[in-house]
Amino acid sequence: MEIASNFIDLNALDVIYLLLVGFVGGLVSGFIGSGGAFVLTPAMMSMGVPGIVAVASNMCHKFPKALVGAIKRAKYGQVDVKLGLVMGVSAEAGVLYGAHIQENIKRAFGDAGSNLYVSVAFVLVLGIVGSYVLRDALRMRRSAHTGEEKVARLARWVQSVQIPGTMVYFKSLGTRVSVLFTIPLGFATGMLAATIAVGGFIGVPGMHYVLGASSLMSSATELVVAFVMGLGGTLKFAWSGMVDIRLAMIILAGSLFGIQLGAIGTTYVKPHMIKFVMGVIMVMVLLSRAIIIPVYLADLGIIGKLNPYLEGGLKNVSFIVLIAALAVGAAIIFSALWRGIRLHRHELEMAVVPGGAIQANTVVLPASPQLSPIGRYERFLVASDGSEYSAGTVREALRMAQKCGARIRVISVIAGDNTELYTMGEQLIAQELNSARLNLDAIARQAAASGVACETEVVQAVHIHEEIVTQADRMQADLIIMGRRGRRGLTRVMLGDATARVIGNAHCSVLVVPRVAEITGRHFVIATDGSRFSDTAAAAAGSLAKLCGTPVTVVSVHSPSHSEQWRQEARRAVNRITSFLQQEGVSAESQFVDGRSDEKIVEVATARNADLIVIGSHGRTGLERVLLGSVAERVLNLTTCAVLVVRSP
Amino acid sequence: MVNNITAHKGPQVTRMLAYGVLSLSFYFLLYLFEDEILAFSSRGRWFFAAPVIIAFVFSFAHGNFTSYFWDTLRIEAKK
Repeated sequence: MEIASNFIDLNALDVIYLLLVGFVGGLVSGFIGSGGAFVLTPAMMSMGVPGIVAVASNMCHKFPKALVGAIKRAKYGQVDVKLGLVMGVSAEAGVLYGAHIQENIKRAFGDAGSNLYVSVAFVLVLGIVGSYVLRDALRMRRSAHTGEEKVARLARWVQSVQIPGTMVYFKSLGTRVSVLFTIPLGFATGMLAATIAVGGFIGVPGMHYVLGASSLMSSATELVVAFVMGLGGTLKFAWSGMVDIRLAMIILAGSLFGIQLGAIGTTYVKPHMIKFVMGVIMVMVLLSRAIIIPVYLADLGIIGKLNPYLEGGLKNVSFIVLIAALAVGAAIIFSALWRGIRLHRHELEMAVVPGGAIQANTVVLPASPQLSPIGRYERFLVASDGSEYSAGTVREALRMAQKCGARIRVISVIAGDNTELYTMGEQLIAQELNSARLNLDAIARQAAASGVACETEVVQAVHIHEEIVTQADRMQADLIIMGRRGRRGLTRVMLGDATARVIGNAHCSVLVVPRVAEITGRHFVIATDGSRFSDTAAAAAGSLAKLCGTPVTVVSVHSPSHSEQWRQEARRAVNRITSFLQQEGVSAESQFVDGRSDEKIVEVATARNADLIVIGSHGRTGLERVLLGSVAERVLNLTTCAVLVVRSP
Repeated sequence: MVNNITAHKGPQVTRMLAYGVLSLSFYFLLYLFEDEILAFSSRGRWFFAAPVIIAFVFSFAHGNFTSYFWDTLRIEAKK
């Protein structure tokens, strides 16, 4: 039987190429719900497949791929089938109308006109929506609300509009929304799909920003929309016999591997990552299409004829940027997935080893009954250099461990790499090691006398802060206790800089104890800015205050630049925390002051004769910290009482 | 824990292999009868159902295979 002229012969290289492109496309689709298909049509055309067959075969691989992806993500509870179907049906109408417009433009202006229309649609839609999504992702990443998504103002308005007879409940929104909003959104999604082959660039941001679904739900629900649109498109093209089933099934073979992996990836990342990947791809695709616009303008005679080399170069660069868009998206997903899986496995391994890195025979079972990881104080890592500066650290660590029934691990870090230590000479190294060992032995004896389970170790590391953070992670420490600054000099250094870096990098809370500080439970001050970091800090401080029976003052500092709305929100946050603490049986009061936050927090602590200041941490490091500063660090420099920097999980 | 993992992995590998063989068979048939299948599925009109049915059948076998494939490699969703 002869193969129809529409269909090309396939060789092994073609198959491998399609499998690879399919895999990467599937990976991106599984993660952001869409966006993997746009490169497939040009990829097939570059092999010599006629345009219409490429579009038809792309459609025919898209709907089973989207179905498998939607089923996978539905297992994770991320899919709103009803919203997907409602959007999908209206998207189908949008596809038909979009195709009709395309045909009219092609009839009137030819291929160049049609291409110019597609490119302009790309640039306008991706330029506006893509840059907004990317900006929002970056803002979320920077802001204090990482991990939490707020419903956009537009979505709140859409959800508040009640039009009788049109209201439908959607589980992804948790409320009823008029279908008069979802239908145009679906229609626009379909129109875009018919124009640039990726409706999801409107569908996902639409569901998120206009309807108010979370980005995770939006990207998963888009797979249902893609299934409906893909099935409709396939039926239409199959009726004309344009589907090359071989191409579709080969791409499907690769893309199903990818879509499963992309779907798994969504369970490991924070919501802003989905927006980030989508935004990056959209902006890069926009660049790809913008590059080629002069070629179409020249074809239409709007600008002068281009040099053939320039024309060919622009087309090639445009295609390379298109491929790069997908590759960059896939690389970000891979990286996020890899890190997420590694971290998760590490957590699981630590969870099944009794006592983590601490030897079981040295451990007394903790008495702490708390369930929350935020407020749990069962394992402390104490960094001591044996100097007068860390004397307070050890004293307070033992005191707290006694109160909380925690076990402690005390380390003394010998700083420097092997070369540095070698140049010190064997005798000096031995002296340092011996001195560190003696210091730790003395601490172990103190701990034994206090009835605290303790183990000690001298460790060598190039970077002190990295070693402390690694040790804390390994033992799943609930708290790192260290001094504010240590003595400089040969090796057993514990600098103020190291303290700041530990605060910036630690995955658990850090208690910084200045030399003269004593935490006797006189009074605690909790500083809050209304963010979830402050809530975490309050919960942790509440647990501690309850254990010690200590009264607490919750303080919020306002600067003159803060708006009235900000102040009101801060007041609500403080009152919420105060009520929470009171419900927990802690004597708590609130205080609002105006001025510089670090100075005012210390002033309140001094006035109350507080022995502990509790602050939430954003965990910023490096340039971000230099630019944004850290209230916790500035407070540390001003106060003589201990500071607990609580890290959000 | 180890026993649980082993007990869980056994049927998982079997299922992966079963769906893998099924999927491979479908692709082998597609390769073997390439011309006939292509001609049949591209006749158009009421034969439009052919590519749709083929796509559903392939996605069932291959979708299950790929799912078990990643599970077997311990690349699973975070619970």
